[in-house]
Amino acid sequence: MEILSAERVSKTYAGARGVVRALDEVDLTVARGRLFGFLGRNGAGKTTFIKIASTLLLPTSGSVRLFGEDVVRHPNRVRERIAIVPQEGRPFYHLTPLEHIREYLRVRGVAAETANARAEELVDAMGLRPYAAEPSYRLSGGLQQRTLVAMILATRAEFLFLDEPTIGMDPFARRQVWQVIRDAARAGSTVLLTTHYLDEAEQLTEELAVVESGRILYRGTPEALKSRVGREVRLQFEGGVTAAELAPFGPVFAERGKVIVATTRSRVAELTQLALARDATFNVGPVTLEEAFLALVGRSIEEEEASA
Amino acid sequence: MSYASQARSALRICYFNGILPLWRQSTLLIAIFLTPVSFVFFLFVIAPRDLFAYGVVGGILFTALFTGNGMLNDCAYYRLERQLQQVFVASPVRSTTFVLGMALSELAFTLPAQALFFTILWITHPFGPAALAGLLAVVLLTWLMATTLGFMISTFYSQLREIWPVGTMVFSTLSVIPPVFYPIAAIPAAWQWAAFFAPSTFASQLAERSIGLATADPTGAPWLGVPGVQLLGLVGATALFAAAAAKLARWRER
Ligand SMILES: Nc1ncnc2c1ncn2[C@@H]1O[C@H](COP(=O)(O)OP(=O)(O)O)[C@@H](O)[C@H]1O
Ligand SMILES: [Mg+2]
Repeated sequence: MEILSAERVSKTYAGARGVVRALDEVDLTVARGRLFGFLGRNGAGKTTFIKIASTLLLPTSGSVRLFGEDVVRHPNRVRERIAIVPQEGRPFYHLTPLEHIREYLRVRGVAAETANARAEELVDAMGLRPYAAEPSYRLSGGLQQRTLVAMILATRAEFLFLDEPTIGMDPFARRQVWQVIRDAARAGSTVLLTTHYLDEAEQLTEELAVVESGRILYRGTPEALKSRVGREVRLQFEGGVTAAELAPFGPVFAERGKVIVATTRSRVAELTQLALARDATFNVGPVTLEEAFLALVGRSIEEEEASA
Repeated sequence: MSYASQARSALRICYFNGILPLWRQSTLLIAIFLTPVSFVFFLFVIAPRDLFAYGVVGGILFTALFTGNGMLNDCAYYRLERQLQQVFVASPVRSTTFVLGMALSELAFTLPAQALFFTILWITHPFGPAALAGLLAVVLLTWLMATTLGFMISTFYSQLREIWPVGTMVFSTLSVIPPVFYPIAAIPAAWQWAAFFAPSTFASQLAERSIGLATADPTGAPWLGVPGVQLLGLVGATALFAAAAAKLARWRER
């Protein structure tokens, strides 16, 4: 059963560079209890969608229904049942992590005992125990972000919006946060999160939508997206070989000094010979979401340039 | 949430946003005391003794007016810099609850300074319970007016840097130029009416009258000297700012 359904949602901003079309007739549904991911490059439109669905921003056209309620016409009915980690949010200056969780829950009308119990629980689950009594201005960026995420997850709201929840966190902290997000979904909350970390999307989400230039390019499971690449292995070179040389082996992706080729198992030996001949270092492994994402978004950019 | 729990939420915001930080960071306390106490000190040194009470009332009203400056800066900071307004929008907390909670925090912040001024005033210019009630009422009305104005101004801006000078400018103008620290009699009677363009003048006249100090007697507009009219002026300004804020404030962005 779907808990969120968006129909032809568009948003245009009037900015200095003229009119920006941040969302272009987006249709989307999210099923109840799902851990749903929004994946896309910077400026793709992820935050804009999240803000509209969470009653923070009015759409230019189209409609979003959450719990069957229209978010434009009945925002207050929706607000009772949601919580959001805003993008680039920062906690209250002088409150400790424990106080953040407790005070925010109290302001939302949660009883004192429950608020205290959940604050203790989340502080442990998020690895914040050693910092539980530190005012947030003394915490590093990653710890401040964890505090904010803990505060929102503690609400156990029916629908949780998490806009880049793990930004600025170290790999250990991210895994800890993933676990808490999974627990929230298991406990019945529906989660809509945005990320541009491909490993996060791959490991955490059950279903995802790839957004680019305000449009949804793909909607489905991470596995199905990976299988679209049509190859099983990836080889990543840190220089030494050119994209043109790799092209005969399969789709090639060049990104920030590294070259990746997706290919079949049978051709790995041949590529190894090539790399050794060039003194090039490479690593090899199963195809990841990264190749699928680069293929999908790259194709979309090419199409856009061709039509322009 | 019911109205009762919205009210509890506003008090809760006041607790963690106004009282806790004051408790933790006592330098804030000094910052709040500093300006009005130095004004009062100067007046004590240079002004004739019979004008000193005007100066202390000025300190009280200055402190009440500057809750508006705090409101302006805190609301803008939470909305633009910390994205914290968003966590209250996407929650059962209503906009009026949030605004009231913020305004109460600003009031809580100034309570120690007010206690000091009330004590100085009572020692130098003794007054009874009725006068105290009158003074407190004026302080509360002034706080409401100032925080509403501060919140209204904060909604105009989408960049924090642009806001920095605004509050000091607006609230200094309101508390230093009109007869807040000095008796309105210092202005020629023919020009006293002009002082009433500032809502803070209504507040100062009501406060001074409640402790028996001489107040306005504007020629040409004697009705401005009537306490009922002054009360209406103060409440009216608050209502005006509140209506503008309700219309302009963006709880949900466009
Ligand atoms: N307030 C705004 N005013 C003007 N343009 C905006 C505003 N917010 C976002 N945009 C533009 O809309 C597009 C989508 O932005 P956003 O939704 O933040 O993307 P994402 O979250 O995927 O990085 C970008 O081109 C961005 O520059
Ligand atoms: Mg974003």
